[in-house]
Amino acid sequence: MASSGAAGPFWRAAGMTYVSYSNKCASMVRSCLKEPHRTEALEREKVHFSISKWVDGKPEKPSIREGTGGD
Amino acid sequence: MGVLPGHVPTIAELKPGVMTVHEGTDVSKYFVSSGFAFIHANSVADVIAVEAVPVDHLDSNLVQKGLAEFTQKLGSASTDLEKAEAQIGVDVYSAMNSALTG
Repeated sequence: MASSGAAGPFWRAAGMTYVSYSNKCASMVRSCLKEPHRTEALEREKVHFSISKWVDGKPEKPSIREGTGGD
Repeated sequence: MGVLPGHVPTIAELKPGVMTVHEGTDVSKYFVSSGFAFIHANSVADVIAVEAVPVDHLDSNLVQKGLAEFTQKLGSASTDLEKAEAQIGVDVYSAMNSALTG
């Protein structure tokens, strides 16, 4: 179980975060479900949010992002 | 790893795989996509997962196809990120495959 403490898991070494890793795994599992569970699960993947960058302490115009998961 | 009442308090990171729950004589198997298991001192255990599905909700044809697809991607991947994604695919689909055939 001991590791040198250098790289950690392979996905971390490739620059991925745990959250991305976990979401990708979940997405793969969802894609293997039988119907009707599959359509229910794909609903869970949908995202819809508004995002705005802050410049000089003020928010810029927000933009809406939506779609089916991914980054 | 097996958990019974009185288990030492543990935090465990889970790999994609099967979690079997025994309630009396009933046994249910769930496939967990990844996540954590917390076992507390009072013998309460929490399992946190993004997706945990009963094993019989998995379609074995889709699993086989996915496994073949990602094994092939692993062979042709070039960047570190592509390799990591392909490896994740191989790990997850292999685990689903073992869950269905094991």
